Amino acid sequence: MRPPDRSLNLGLSGQPGPVTLCAQPMNRHDFVGFGVSRHSAGWRSAFCRVLALGIALVHGLARAAADPTSASPPPASTNATEARQFWSFQPVRRPALPQSPPGGALTHNPIDAFVLARLEEKGLDPSPPASKGELIRRLCFDLIGLPPAPEDIRAFLDDASAGAYERLVDRLLNRPEFGERWAQHWLDVVRYAETEGFEYDRHLPEAWRYRDYVIQAFNEDKPFDRFLTEQLAGDELTPETQEQLTAAIFHRLGPVRRNAGNPEIALSRNEVLTERTDVIGAAFLGLTVGCARCHDHKFDPISQKDYYRLQAYFAASQENDILLVSADEKKDWEAKSKAAQGELRRLRQAADRAEGEERTQLNNQIEALESKMPSYPATIPSIHNDTDQRTAIHVLHRGQWEKKGEPVAMRPPSVLVDESLPELPMDLARPRTELARWLTDPRHPLTARVIVNRLWQHHFGVGLVKTPNDFGHNGDRPSHPELLDWLAAELVRNGWHLKPLHRLMVCSAIYQQSSQPAGAAVMAAAGRIDPENRLLWRFQQRRLSAEEIRDTMLAVCGRLNPRRGGPSVMVPVDSELVQLLYKPAQWEVSRNPGDYDRRSIYLIAKRNLRLPFMETFDQPPLLTSCGRRESSTHAPQALEMLNGQLSNALATAFAQRLERESGGDLGALIERAYALALGRSPTSAEHRLAATFLQEQPLREFALALFNLNAFLYVQ
Amino acid sequence: MSSNAAAHSRLTRTRREFVRDAFCGFGSLALASILRPQDLRAAGINPLSERPPHLPAKAKAVIFLFMAGGPSHLETFDPKPLLNQLHGQARPKEFGEAKYQFVKTGAKLLGCKRTFARHGQSGLEISDLFPHLATCADHLAVIRSCYGDMVVHSAAQYELFTGRIVPGYPSMGSWLTYGLGSESESLPAYVVMPDPKGALEAGQPMYANGFLPAVFQPTMFRPGERPVLNLELPAGVTLAQRRRTLRLINELNRANSTPADEEFNARLNAYDLAFKMQTESPKLFDLSKEPAETMQLYGIGQQPTHDYGRRCLLARKLVENGVRFVCVVAGGGPGNLQWDAHNDIEENHLRKAAETDRPMAGLLLDLHRRGLLDSTLVLWGGEFGRSPEAESGKGRDHHNLGFTMWMAGGGIKGGQVVGATDAIGLRAIENPVHFRDLHTTILHQLGLDQTRLTYPHLGRNERLTFVEGKVIDQIV
Repeated sequence: MRPPDRSLNLGLSGQPGPVTLCAQPMNRHDFVGFGVSRHSAGWRSAFCRVLALGIALVHGLARAAADPTSASPPPASTNATEARQFWSFQPVRRPALPQSPPGGALTHNPIDAFVLARLEEKGLDPSPPASKGELIRRLCFDLIGLPPAPEDIRAFLDDASAGAYERLVDRLLNRPEFGERWAQHWLDVVRYAETEGFEYDRHLPEAWRYRDYVIQAFNEDKPFDRFLTEQLAGDELTPETQEQLTAAIFHRLGPVRRNAGNPEIALSRNEVLTERTDVIGAAFLGLTVGCARCHDHKFDPISQKDYYRLQAYFAASQENDILLVSADEKKDWEAKSKAAQGELRRLRQAADRAEGEERTQLNNQIEALESKMPSYPATIPSIHNDTDQRTAIHVLHRGQWEKKGEPVAMRPPSVLVDESLPELPMDLARPRTELARWLTDPRHPLTARVIVNRLWQHHFGVGLVKTPNDFGHNGDRPSHPELLDWLAAELVRNGWHLKPLHRLMVCSAIYQQSSQPAGAAVMAAAGRIDPENRLLWRFQQRRLSAEEIRDTMLAVCGRLNPRRGGPSVMVPVDSELVQLLYKPAQWEVSRNPGDYDRRSIYLIAKRNLRLPFMETFDQPPLLTSCGRRESSTHAPQALEMLNGQLSNALATAFAQRLERESGGDLGALIERAYALALGRSPTSAEHRLAATFLQEQPLREFALALFNLNAFLYVQ
Repeated sequence: MSSNAAAHSRLTRTRREFVRDAFCGFGSLALASILRPQDLRAAGINPLSERPPHLPAKAKAVIFLFMAGGPSHLETFDPKPLLNQLHGQARPKEFGEAKYQFVKTGAKLLGCKRTFARHGQSGLEISDLFPHLATCADHLAVIRSCYGDMVVHSAAQYELFTGRIVPGYPSMGSWLTYGLGSESESLPAYVVMPDPKGALEAGQPMYANGFLPAVFQPTMFRPGERPVLNLELPAGVTLAQRRRTLRLINELNRANSTPADEEFNARLNAYDLAFKMQTESPKLFDLSKEPAETMQLYGIGQQPTHDYGRRCLLARKLVENGVRFVCVVAGGGPGNLQWDAHNDIEENHLRKAAETDRPMAGLLLDLHRRGLLDSTLVLWGGEFGRSPEAESGKGRDHHNLGFTMWMAGGGIKGGQVVGATDAIGLRAIENPVHFRDLHTTILHQLGLDQTRLTYPHLGRNERLTFVEGKVIDQIV
């Protein structure tokens, strides 16, 4: 929804004129009580409240929609032709570049032309270029999620030749860490986890193969249309390769409810199909199609029938665990597992008949045997189409599986296709390939826009469309519609390669501007016209993500283990945390301690046990698609960074490293500490403060203090 | 937002002036309460600062006595003489169908061995499982017509806590904290005290903040005297030393040339609050100085009530000090250590009731005599009830079509029964109350309107109650 203009005159006396707050409130009542009448300790107190509210709003605390009672969004149009007029359903048209970029401003590429044109319209100037020191730090976190090494910074600062920045960009785009960094963004979108959630939180021990697939796809710049198709229909493509089957693990990533006792087959099947359908909307279409499961979409022209037609592409899809071992190994495993299964079956039947104490004992035996089952051979937890088990798809009244309405077959949502298009026959051999083909049609209005917007969001902090999973009526309108279209058209033109787009974005002058405008007056003026910085009059600073903070502490103290790929790591965690698992035995700590220092993307994503460190710094809950993470700020983060095991252990390691590398010289130690942790030299004031501290206090505390600085936790 | 551009600029500029002038640079504010004890709480830069409710509120806090695993309504608050008469027979057809997790069609009904008596002036019927709680009968609004949509633990637990049968959505504790903030600066706003015997089927996602920002996540208390993770200084670090380290952080942040901005100020403030939590809250967690009479009241120091008593007393102290939502879980680990009485309803419920009866009654009496019961809503119940049919001869299966929960305090009118199940306790037939109606009623007592307590998620404004719930008018 476009943020409605909201203002509240607080009518504070003693001020030169009314103070008006303009914001998008959580709801109207957030404002009640902020006036002087209730908090009458004078204007200063009242002002504190206004200040607080402003800050709270900035912090996303109240990043909520407007009061639905007074600002209802435009109702979905019932008129099909009219519905098609909505901006995101319109075909992408490659716009001409804006005429003559405004005089004086630096333009490096077409992105600048579009952004500068909008800034000029509003009478705004971009900020001055960022310093080279800031740029290399910004680029490294953005592209590889790690800080630059002091030597790399030195080399970059010393390289005064033309094209030094562009060469740095190319080096970083080609580093294997690039895929590790950008894969995490995609894993958030597809709510990647390696366990099924719910009661059993069953592990899919080989789901990491999908994570490695994504990393590799980004590193080798697999065209996005191919990337999409392999995930949707890897198992249908011929000839099947292991890579394509791995991509199709995509369909196994949703939470799955399994339960003991009387099976609820139809309900469970409905839940699986719902997961498989909804994620298509969130990840690829950028539409909240899931809203149409129970009723026609309230805001977008997507009917319930459209929803079930989309679901129909998955009607025949069933789990398919593909073994990767030899026939002999498989046979051996089968024999062992068959024997164990037989014994298990016998015990279970006995337990069903038994009562009381006897039953408890049998259950214990069952559990013991289960834990000793021969380990599963290498497998790809993929899917395939099983036409014998095809689910008949109906429109379901209120989404309830037992309330079957009209039967439907596969077809894309009406608003996005020719209305006379018939449904496809249900016995289509490769239904998901068909869906992928439709999504990757160069004329598709959403696919390219949605992915280039995701790229933009991660480079610039906020997407051109602020709601990356919702390009519908309830979502945001693009801040630069022509630029969005130009980028989408560019993506298709270059064969759906993402790396050239990354390159364009980070090589723009707009990306390279400072986060600090040229002076307070400029800042005030720009803040007045565009308080959210949607027009990009400065670079948007950001806090590091949970993964970046952990990885950076590891890198800074010299302990980061660069090993790539393979099964996920379970680090040792507080035993009380493991006891919060319904099956604590599931947390099998990895045997090799060196693995505990690997990058965060290689730590297991377990739905029912998230690491407190990650949780506290806004890792999404791994259960629903997350297009954009929160960036919250609160006391438990400070407690985690000050008292937590991880930060303290790594601060100790950092202190040891500094001691080792500074040769006992205090000045050199402080220099080195700043170079490693913050990528720059300390100012003389900083140097003095640190030196004074270190005269009395342990080095370990100094190291910990550096991890807690804003300059460490934020990128400018 | 252009229409208010001029006015807005006034705020922006003044805010900056104010920051600069009033505090000589906002950086100094960060550790103000360490450096200077007087209160400079910066007018709520803390994202958990208190917020006014939508409507006049009757309650300020909630304590949820979560009876995990699903206690039987038939053995506790919903006597069914007919069930005893029909013991050993198949369910008569006129009661309709029911789906259970384990019990198969055609299973035999199981009579109840408990005896019921009327208690208090209201004459509320409570079984002999709860002799202590029975003395509080006039505080209780017993809802006999609860129902949910799911008959398996995990999904039913999600629905009870979040209104959805799938994980990933915010729990009621997170919603309340989001809506109202916290009255306490040195305590977490939303606390869950799990049963030390083990975890529950739905796991952590049941209590979690879902798509709400991480600041609204629950603090999971650990067993023992030091319940909150990271409140303790690391081994070998003294408080004086840590104070000095915090000063260094503050000084170095200020020495940085980057001008102060709201984000940085909020982070500095978070460090201030963290230090307060660290120095002030451990005193509260220490129960060693509680009077003997209080310990006795909750059954602390005696078995089998010691553990649940401790946690109930802690819940009272937390609420007294401004915590918004406390969940005290009874039951954890394997089913029979929960109320999940598949094998033997008598053995299980006698044991579970003995562990919880005195602590719960102690909590209600203690809240009452301290004048806190009026502002504290206490909720009791599990994710479902138990089947009228027998499982394994003497046990009862899960049962979601009709079961009992109760509320007390927080403006709830006690000493009455809401709704009814049919004559064998199979189905809620009178005034049925869904989980979403419970949620709506809780929000209502705390002054929150379900339609206004929303957060944008996946393209719409999500709310706790999903589709709209009804306030239980009879008890508010």
